[in-house]
Amino acid sequence: MYRQKHLFLLPGLLVLVAIIIFPLLFTIRVSFSSWDVFQPELDWIAGGNYGRLLEDARYWGALGRLMIMAVGTVLIQYILGFALALLVLGDLRARRFFRVLFLVPMMTTPVIMSVIWRTVFHESIGPLNGMLQALGLQGVPWLSEPALAFASVMMVEIWQWTPFMFLLLLAGLVSLPREPYLAARIDGAGPIRTFFAVTFPAMAGISIAAILIRLIEASKIMESVYVMTSGGPGTATETSTYYIYIRGLRDFQLGYASALSVTYLVIMIISLTIIAKVLVRLFVKDRT
Amino acid sequence: MKTLYLAIKYLAILLWSCFVLFPFLWAVTTSFKTANGVTGGATWIPWLQYKPSLQGWQSLFGGSGGTDISGPYLNSIIVTGSASLISIVMGTLAAYGLSRFTFRAGFIRNADITFFFISQRIMPPIVLAIPFFLLLDQLGLLDTLAGLILVYIALLLPIAVWVMVDFFNNVPRQLDEMAWLDGCTPLTTFYRVILPNSVPGLIVAGMFCLIFGWNDFFFAFTLTFTDTQLLPVAIVALNSSVTPWWSLSASALISVAPLILLAFVVERFLSRGGLAGAVR
Amino acid sequence: MRSDKLLRTAKVLAASSALGLAAGMASAEDYTRFGIEKDMPGMCSYESIDAKDYSGRELTVITHAIPVIGEPTKLHAEQFSELTGADVEVVHVPFGDLFQRIMIPFQTGQDAYDVLFYASLWLGDYNPYLANVPEEYQSTAGMQALTDTTRDVGMWGGEMKQYIMDGDRHYLKYREDIFSDPDMQARFLEETGRELTVPETWEEYNEVARVFTGWDWDGDGDPNYGSAEVVKRDDLMFSAFISRAAPYAKHPDVGGGFFFDLETMEPLINNPGWVRGLELFVEAQESFPPGGTNFGLGDEIFSFGGGETLMSYSWDDALIQAQQADSPIRNDVRTQMLPGAREVWNRETGEWDTFEEPNRAAYITWGWTSAVAQSSSNKDMAFDYLCFFSNEANTRHDLQVGRFGVNPYRTGHFDADFWSDDLGWDRGMAEQYVETLERIDGYDNRVFDLRVPGVGQFMTSLAAGVAEAVAGQATPQEALDGVAEEWSRTVERIGKDRVREAYANVVEIEDAR
Repeated sequence: MYRQKHLFLLPGLLVLVAIIIFPLLFTIRVSFSSWDVFQPELDWIAGGNYGRLLEDARYWGALGRLMIMAVGTVLIQYILGFALALLVLGDLRARRFFRVLFLVPMMTTPVIMSVIWRTVFHESIGPLNGMLQALGLQGVPWLSEPALAFASVMMVEIWQWTPFMFLLLLAGLVSLPREPYLAARIDGAGPIRTFFAVTFPAMAGISIAAILIRLIEASKIMESVYVMTSGGPGTATETSTYYIYIRGLRDFQLGYASALSVTYLVIMIISLTIIAKVLVRLFVKDRT
Repeated sequence: MKTLYLAIKYLAILLWSCFVLFPFLWAVTTSFKTANGVTGGATWIPWLQYKPSLQGWQSLFGGSGGTDISGPYLNSIIVTGSASLISIVMGTLAAYGLSRFTFRAGFIRNADITFFFISQRIMPPIVLAIPFFLLLDQLGLLDTLAGLILVYIALLLPIAVWVMVDFFNNVPRQLDEMAWLDGCTPLTTFYRVILPNSVPGLIVAGMFCLIFGWNDFFFAFTLTFTDTQLLPVAIVALNSSVTPWWSLSASALISVAPLILLAFVVERFLSRGGLAGAVR
Repeated sequence: MRSDKLLRTAKVLAASSALGLAAGMASAEDYTRFGIEKDMPGMCSYESIDAKDYSGRELTVITHAIPVIGEPTKLHAEQFSELTGADVEVVHVPFGDLFQRIMIPFQTGQDAYDVLFYASLWLGDYNPYLANVPEEYQSTAGMQALTDTTRDVGMWGGEMKQYIMDGDRHYLKYREDIFSDPDMQARFLEETGRELTVPETWEEYNEVARVFTGWDWDGDGDPNYGSAEVVKRDDLMFSAFISRAAPYAKHPDVGGGFFFDLETMEPLINNPGWVRGLELFVEAQESFPPGGTNFGLGDEIFSFGGGETLMSYSWDDALIQAQQADSPIRNDVRTQMLPGAREVWNRETGEWDTFEEPNRAAYITWGWTSAVAQSSSNKDMAFDYLCFFSNEANTRHDLQVGRFGVNPYRTGHFDADFWSDDLGWDRGMAEQYVETLERIDGYDNRVFDLRVPGVGQFMTSLAAGVAEAVAGQATPQEALDGVAEEWSRTVERIGKDRVREAYANVVEIEDAR
């Protein structure tokens, strides 16, 4: 009876392996070569690229910024997404309208919306400062002051991906069983206590899954940085993927960029595994 | 107390709605501007504040200073649609297998296989461009729809597997067991019993596949030359050093349109509670 | 096809009867339906190209995004296709991705594109993959009429590799209406104790910009600013910076390399001349409009071309924007060669030399170019297309459309009549514009782009260093020391001899005058 089990798994697994195995192995191989703009060849320089990246302060700086940006945006997206899902859960005028509206940003093409956002943040002819000035306030250097530029990029990421959290969490909330709530009401628990005692623990599984997936995707942040700031001012918004892009496709140092990517992949897999473990422990502790 | 709560609730919803809508409203008004309208600053109202023009919209349909996006639109639909469909079919099968049976190969277990699927999304696409390029070259699929579909499957299959494994893990095993007692094989069980109960999961997985496929720019960009253009690539062709804000705004609005319909479909299922099991 | 021909004949008949067989129409066919005034004879005229038949063949072209260069590429591709029956496929790519889109097929041995439009400074990387321009095309009237400088841009190791179809240079643009306003002059005198003049040095430029920043000098209700510059990292900023640093670091009597000492291949990028240039660049940001430190080329164009800023320098685009028919500042703009320096670093003596008349440096910054791939199996058709693209009739047309980004590059284009009569520019402005371009083209103290293998690597590290200094993360000296160190490592990696050999090509042209 169980002999058929391979029929389920293998088609997908084999197709994926077939598509991905060559690019993956090739990337690892290239990372040990000096493939560069002036010599497209697979020579062997052993760990030369890896030695170089250990001393590459820009790479590690970018990785640090990426961590802050990814964790920061995902946490904010989670909190906002949860709040929004709760807001449109119960009775509400035009509930369908708001639910659809809150989903829309996720549906848009990041590379194109980033261009729109860049015009929104434009400091002399963009609408944000225009509105501030209409109110008699000073314009804000959205993209030309390091901390603000960092925050602006985060804001766009939050705009784009909060709907992802919103959707998953709302779907989870809709399907929560009613009984625990009745019990809580009989106990005389207020809304806040009910939330922490009943809703939150019941949402643990979906929360962990949503946060992890978002972390994976957020780590590849690229379009918004590329379009809005090009990693500037200075290196204030330069993240790993953007830096790898610069080295790989702008400079065309493919060997070095491959080494950066492989290192990045290893670091990401390790840290995501740790984060997953930590999240499970946190949420499970909450439950008891 | 109750009114205060309601006021805060509506205020919050309204604030977020403004945030969501803001770039779209700005894009709408910008799409009717010309260079002078743009340099005129943060104006919103046509005729009153700036002289409107249809140039931005005309340029999307072969007008001067633009590009014709109808061909790329169709290409995008074909590539995204087929890659999503194939990913969903294979992803659902794989997910069901991973959820119901035990696989073992050396130290590799089910959880490791699932992680392998998901981990495919960790790799930054930048470096994969060159090897994918060489791969498609070997297969003679560079600059073809088929080649793009192949690459997109690699991008979308992990998503389908992720969503569906979670989904099947929450479908009671008793359903399967009852079917087996009735004499069904795993395949017929899957086909007759599980699949009809999986529509919500399929909707979510399908939606994510469509979104990520439709909006991918990078691979559509690097793996084609001139024959096969997808929508984001055609639109970005308008992003010149002298940025034509107007036609970019118009194209942003137009590329979003089909997916907004998708948002309505998803919301329908959501409101009916149909997505209940999809994520639990 | 036949009905097309019929239709064409009908149109010609209609046109000629309407015009009463206009005088000067030498050829049997009328090509004005392509939007040109009249066909001009030559090897690649409409008539000559019309005589060719390329039906059943495909030509693939990669070019920049629309409109700059991308729009004329597409326009002439459609015309070429209609005339010859060839199937011409054009792909448009944003500037930031153009380099790799061309390089990936090159390096992986793909025959992806026949014709390439790109930034001329990439020649150092692309030259092994490009076809030489054949003799017969080099002898066309259009090619013969190239200015010396633009011809030099096309040359590599004594061979013509790039098919020149654009001429680009940085120059100063300023608002004549403000500079000549007595109230403004009085105000400037009061604040600085000096007459208001068009800046002769970058110190003066910064001073003028500072005085005219933060108040409404054009009376439109919004504050105005002194200077708009391209400062956004990875967005051609390196070009702006080199323009500013060149007069301080390029001594007219010192040859043998500007970016590197050709003999030792030591980077010169952190010598006192360059550092001075960067100090002034950093200082200038106080006169930028809000967000000015994140300005890309598009922002600079909108800011100066829209009348927000007093001065600006880069390519022609902002000027053309200001000269649009409905522009509020049309004909209020003037041009001048880039400011210079009175203190110039002499790297041979290791001292600052003083110049009574400011030292200037004509920085021949990249500009668009076209080329044909060595691997192309359609070289005949490809060169015919490029030749057609830049035939006299088309060039004359393209020069008039600002957004096309095609700028004067043949001796015949330096003609004030053309700009004032055909485009309706103010006469004085047209004369000054032509004079500015001519002066730059003929200038003795010249600097070319660093056209060596890996130019992208050198320029991204330069841009990163300059961006750090502008953002205040490092002092100019520290930032450029960092760049020099990275340049040394890059030279090491690429191979000293390889870089020197390539750079020698550049220095040879630079030092020829």
